[in-house]
Amino acid sequence: MATSKKVITRDEWEKKLNAVKLRKEDMNTLVMNFLVTEGFVEAADKFQRESGTKPEIDLATITDRMAVKKAVQNGNVEDAIEKVNDLNPEILDTNPELFFHLQQQRLIELIRQGKTEEALEFAQEELAPRGEENQAFLQELEKTVALLVFEDASNCPVKDLLDISHRLKTASEVNAAILTSQSHEKDPKLPSLLKMLIWAQNQLDEKAVYPHINDLSTGQLETLSE
Amino acid sequence: MPTTTSSSSSSAASSSGNRQADVFSRLASSDPEVKLKALREVKNQIIGNRTKKLSFLKLGAVPAIASALSDADCSSNSSILVQSAAALGSFACGFEAGVQAVLDAGVFPRLLRLLTSSDEKVVDAGARSLRMIFQSNQAPKYDFLQEKNMEFLFSLLNSENENVSGLGASIIAHACGTSVEQQVLCDAGVLEKLVLLLDGSLSQREACLESLATVLKSNPEAVSRFVGLEAGRYMSSVTELTKDRYPRTRLLSCLCLVVIYNTSPSYFLNMGTKSSLVTTLLELLNDPGQSGDEAALGLSSLIAEKEDLQKLAYEANAIKNIVDILKTGSELNPKRLQGLFLSLAELCSKLEDCRCSFLSLEMLDLLVNELRHKNADVRTAACICFRNAARSIKNLSAGRFTTDHVMLPLVQLLHDPSSSVQVAVLGALSNIVLDFSSPKSTFIEYGGIKQLIELSKSMDPNTRCSSLRALRNLMFLADNNRKELFYSEVKAQGFVALISDPEPSVQEQALALLRNLVDGCINSIEFVFDEDGLILDTVGRQLRKAPQAQMAIQGMYVLTNVASGTELHKEAVMQQLFPQPQAESNNFMLKFLQSHESQLRSATVWTIINLISPSSPGALDRHVKLRNEGIIPQLKNMVNDACLDVKIRIRTVLSQSMSFGDN
Repeated sequence: MATSKKVITRDEWEKKLNAVKLRKEDMNTLVMNFLVTEGFVEAADKFQRESGTKPEIDLATITDRMAVKKAVQNGNVEDAIEKVNDLNPEILDTNPELFFHLQQQRLIELIRQGKTEEALEFAQEELAPRGEENQAFLQELEKTVALLVFEDASNCPVKDLLDISHRLKTASEVNAAILTSQSHEKDPKLPSLLKMLIWAQNQLDEKAVYPHINDLSTGQLETLSE
Repeated sequence: MPTTTSSSSSSAASSSGNRQADVFSRLASSDPEVKLKALREVKNQIIGNRTKKLSFLKLGAVPAIASALSDADCSSNSSILVQSAAALGSFACGFEAGVQAVLDAGVFPRLLRLLTSSDEKVVDAGARSLRMIFQSNQAPKYDFLQEKNMEFLFSLLNSENENVSGLGASIIAHACGTSVEQQVLCDAGVLEKLVLLLDGSLSQREACLESLATVLKSNPEAVSRFVGLEAGRYMSSVTELTKDRYPRTRLLSCLCLVVIYNTSPSYFLNMGTKSSLVTTLLELLNDPGQSGDEAALGLSSLIAEKEDLQKLAYEANAIKNIVDILKTGSELNPKRLQGLFLSLAELCSKLEDCRCSFLSLEMLDLLVNELRHKNADVRTAACICFRNAARSIKNLSAGRFTTDHVMLPLVQLLHDPSSSVQVAVLGALSNIVLDFSSPKSTFIEYGGIKQLIELSKSMDPNTRCSSLRALRNLMFLADNNRKELFYSEVKAQGFVALISDPEPSVQEQALALLRNLVDGCINSIEFVFDEDGLILDTVGRQLRKAPQAQMAIQGMYVLTNVASGTELHKEAVMQQLFPQPQAESNNFMLKFLQSHESQLRSATVWTIINLISPSSPGALDRHVKLRNEGIIPQLKNMVNDACLDVKIRIRTVLSQSMSFGDN
């Protein structure tokens, strides 16, 4: 098949790859950064001991942060709020959007537990004022309160809110806020590198035919015909 | 017979009220465990929750917590200290009533003492709450001039604890006001300490940037000192931070650079830096939070009076961006609105392209709406926007500004309680009344003249000045009807009062108004002769008092216009120039001809031209008088005047002179 693009065989490609030099320390740092940002304390500690790589922040602070994240993931939002406030009272005081999302999650948990009366009271007492204080939250507020209106919340138009993924979303938000307050980057570097890889492959696709990495989890080289 | 009622479910409000009252009562418990639990509960309820802060405030929570803190201070109960300090800090966080309550409770000195605790958590809690207090306008004044205060401040800056050093920077950022304080701080080496925080944590960096802006503001010496530190390394750091990943850091570093630019622009010779500063601020305008609000004000401050930066901003699509934000329809924070309007105003101040672009985007309706905004600063900014947009002659003569829809709200603002709004709307009207395209004037129909005259008697000199400026423009090339209408409201006495105003700037506008009034047809000159020439006498008197140049210019133009009339008019002017033989020849005309102000020399020569114009019978006699008073000889000395306009007029006079047979 005639093509105007340059064709690189697997052999040539592997040769080119092998010519690139990487430092072990850089890779260790990447791994440590991932473990620390995602909050895998024990793994980070073990990795430090086994590889000698220094973590970029005090591992003790990770434990506190992970406790908060776990509480949200388990639906114990009130507990999470108390823990965040113990860690740093400024976070929720200066982050109205985060605070609103945590309150919203609390309401969702009450609805999930079937505590309708309590949920109603909570919505009136805690969420409505957020909407008054800040118009930007009104739309989301309405969506959340809509859960109360339907007999079967798990089958209504806004049922996504009840999904466990919503807890994870809130947990992630809180995690990011804590990291920011500790002047740490909220995202690990690894995903950015992988995104760069995919982008670079897309760019190169316009000019050449060569072995791709299609499955990021394995990193296997696959030639086009396979 | 007693009836039973079914218990109705208690409304949310009253049950929460009960819960609050319950927690509140436990605060006063003598059992430390109970008290601690209550403190934590209050703290966790109020953090992030403005509504709860308000309701607990009303219950009197702050004094209760303050006394809990005092007791714990004496008994060194760390947990209670931490929780009560954190609660007080939260009350003070972005909540003015809370700050007031905390200060009123007298707990400020206690909080300061917490900084010396051996327990790191206590220090943190104390430092955080103090920082919240210092971010408010109500923070206690910090006397930088007292040595022990300086020592304390530096001990904070030197601390390893980032909350404590951040507190030190915060105190500087919010309490340093005068140039004396800036000087004292710089001399004590504060810049060298602050810049170290740039390499620290996020909150330290931000505190540092804020305090730098305060110390450097309008202080060229401080700026030069800062830029000189380590051969400009820190200046580069701040510039780099404008590209930081955190919006607030980008904003604060931009604001710092704006301060430096406004104080000492010479450090910004590189066009690239100016350009990226403008574009970064423009991007920050889209930030929904506080950063966006402050970015708008920062942008207006940066481009104010600087045509090159206005051009840069225009080319970076500033007008479209700002208009898009304004049109989103959501309630914008007053501070942001003010900043956005001021930025638009600055963009339209000199560049016609900007004005046309702005007006083509259907913005007038929105602008008119904001004239009714409840915040005076927003109304003022909207008026300034109008004023500058109306500088577009093309759009003005297209009648865009003189529709009832625009005029009525503007005229209504003449009654505004705020004097800054009044002055701003007067500025806008001054420009709008210059629309000659429409034969009728909506402004006058709305009783505008009466209102302007009222305002010319205001207590505030700026308002008097601005209203006279508007009247002056209104009388420019006005027809007789309009002039009569105006004069009938003022009369000779009124004019005399205006011309004799204690403020020179007001006098100047009054004379300029008079100049326009008597300009045009010969009948207009009669105004100054009303009531036995009262107005003309007053003008003469003011001119003889050795006035400021700007006033003298307008006064001479009044005389010029009067002297363009009949014989009687010209003679009357001569009377004013040379009253009954004076003891000494205190000839102000000679002084004016020798003035440094070319406009004054020009105006004086014009008067002479009109006095001796050969077509009038008494010209020869007047010429003789002028020669005898040394005026003509003086003109002969000025044949090579530096100003071309003056030179040409003098040649005119001298050729008239020669026609009288004078060498």
